[in-house]
Amino acid sequence: MFNFDAFLKSLSEIGSTILVVVLIVVVLEALLYLILVKWLKVKNALVYMLVSPAILGLLLLQIYPLLWEGYISMTNMSLSHFFNYSFIGLRNYVRVFTEPVLKQVTFLPLLWRTILWTLINVFFHVTGGMILALLLNRDMKMRGVYRMFIIIPWALPQVVAAMAWRGEFNYEYGWINVMLKQIGLTPVQWMTSPTPNFAAMCLVNIWLGIPFMTVIFLGGLQSISGEFYEAAEMDGASNWQKFWKITLPMMKPIMTPSIILGTVWTFNNFNIPFFINQYELESSDILVTALFRAAFEYNRYGFSAAFAYVIFFILLIYSAIYAKTTGALKGVKD
Amino acid sequence: MKKLRIVLIFSILALAFAACSQGAEVPTDELTIQLWTQEGESDNALQYVTSLTDAFTTMYPNITFEVVQKDTETLREDFQTASLAGAAPDLLWTVSDHAGPFTTAGIIQPVDDYFDMDIYVPSVVMNGQTWGVPISSGNHLMLYYNKALIAEPPADTDELIAKAQELTSGDQYGIVYNMTEPFWLAPWLGGFDGSVFAEDGVTPTLNTQAMIDTLQFMYDLKFTYGVIPESVDYDTADTLFKEGKAAMLINGDWSLGGYQELLGEDFGVAPIPMVTSTGKYPAPYTSGKYFMFPKDLSGAKLDAVVKFVEFATNEENQLNQLNTLKRLPGLKAVLDNEAIASDPILAGSAKQMSYGVPMPSVVEMRCIWDAIKPEQNLVLAGNETPVDAAAAMQSAAEACILQLE
Repeated sequence: MFNFDAFLKSLSEIGSTILVVVLIVVVLEALLYLILVKWLKVKNALVYMLVSPAILGLLLLQIYPLLWEGYISMTNMSLSHFFNYSFIGLRNYVRVFTEPVLKQVTFLPLLWRTILWTLINVFFHVTGGMILALLLNRDMKMRGVYRMFIIIPWALPQVVAAMAWRGEFNYEYGWINVMLKQIGLTPVQWMTSPTPNFAAMCLVNIWLGIPFMTVIFLGGLQSISGEFYEAAEMDGASNWQKFWKITLPMMKPIMTPSIILGTVWTFNNFNIPFFINQYELESSDILVTALFRAAFEYNRYGFSAAFAYVIFFILLIYSAIYAKTTGALKGVKD
Repeated sequence: MKKLRIVLIFSILALAFAACSQGAEVPTDELTIQLWTQEGESDNALQYVTSLTDAFTTMYPNITFEVVQKDTETLREDFQTASLAGAAPDLLWTVSDHAGPFTTAGIIQPVDDYFDMDIYVPSVVMNGQTWGVPISSGNHLMLYYNKALIAEPPADTDELIAKAQELTSGDQYGIVYNMTEPFWLAPWLGGFDGSVFAEDGVTPTLNTQAMIDTLQFMYDLKFTYGVIPESVDYDTADTLFKEGKAAMLINGDWSLGGYQELLGEDFGVAPIPMVTSTGKYPAPYTSGKYFMFPKDLSGAKLDAVVKFVEFATNEENQLNQLNTLKRLPGLKAVLDNEAIASDPILAGSAKQMSYGVPMPSVVEMRCIWDAIKPEQNLVLAGNETPVDAAAAMQSAAEACILQLE
């Protein structure tokens, strides 16, 4: 049954917001029209008029929060200084590197763990994705069906997948331990021991990440012309040689951006490390989950803002170096 | 300017009215009260909240409610954010431990001026002021047993171990409880004559003989006597007890209704057995649900909220809550009601509550939970000795409290 009253009520709640947004856009466009077209007579006035609402939106929703966070990062804002916080300069940035970020763990070990987590995951995503893509890139029956099954993990919301997996890691009833017991091995304490918990996180995230790479790589493989392989075959190249000399170089333009993306996503992956780490083991925290806990469980707002900026700069530097060395963004500049 | 002055005069008047508490008039203008609650739908508690607000609106049609449900942690985070943005709701229905962060941040107001706190069970008192009106009390752990497996509950821990050993065989266990959460460690700590804070209520005292004894006892239940499964969390314990694979379970009053429905006559409730070596009863944390008033609540809305809180905690509604939710009341008058004494389950729960201690609600408590949890899990995984764990807890808690500033 369509509840018309509820629909009207929710519309009235958001209606005013939408109205304000529309009004602002109309006023902005009218102003720009008067200034650019009527007064200054700029040549590409339409272009500026079209992008200006987006620029305004970005300024309000991206730039302003970033600047505000920059300011907060230089204050002592916390629960005990909730309204009456004061400016303390760069002290929070010093504290990020010198004091425990959470309970006991300090910044550097946390960074190494995050890098380890990223390396393990991206390595398996890329190799696993490549293997599956190569397997699928052949003539076979029911290829579409296989492809569908492989994509399922990607189509699941991450939180749902994490929750389902968490149940499977249960000591007593989880599928994994039940299987281990069946084949005569000792069950593993996936949830309470540090190393198994980290392994569990990796397992789930690898499972989740492979389909994306498979789909992307499959698209890339299908665009490589068969002529290259035919020519190689005539020269007597082995399958291994064909892979290293033809497939991989031809795939580079596809693999580079997906590895950059995959790295940033994994580095910043919140859902899996947060939800698989049911008992809040500090040994399973990566940078972003530690950041979340510092900000919203310990309410160290000023400190967390500085912490967030540090993480942001790490990723910025990584992306810049990677883009420069691989020339991935060359097309954009040309 | 004139408008501001009117508002100011109005709020002063309202405050004066509110000061004489019961005398508060119900405002006659159209008002919408936004109430945030962390009660969920699954145990009928959210339905109970809306039944109260609906009943109040029937009495005063000009006052309507917008009930917003949030998870406990989400409610805390969102309320902090909303207060900072100056868009706080008008009333909170939440757990006692939120009072710590909320008073530290200065975003709720004391309620002493609006209510006679003597008619309620002890509430959240900090810095000499009361920060909430009790809706229900309890939230404490107790011992549940399955009469089909064990006729009488054990009186002390020696008996507990002996009986549990008899009852443990194969996939059948003597006793289960959530070993992963420090909330389940707290009763034993009390039983071994310990406490997480010193007299001042904020200095952690975790590296103590009591804590070592507590951890050793929990370790022994699992490894020395083998009466507890390898690894038990909340859901595992719950399932084992429901399936009849565990004779005894330690769980909280929130789960009473469900077990009673499932086990019927076989379901029994008793205090957690006395610790033999100290002669003390384990002391589970008690808390409950409270109404809390946002800092900026004033004027007509404050009057309406005060009236609603009086309505929700009057004798009739407290009895109603006892019957529908099986929760012990916040109103003292109803705690002595025969409805509790005549019901063996509620009587058992009330008896256990009398051994309990109020859960500290200061912000430092967060550090205590976070300091105990990982060490407790390490000890119960056999990876750390109780002595090392107690020392590690203390230093973690101290470091954490230093950072709160």
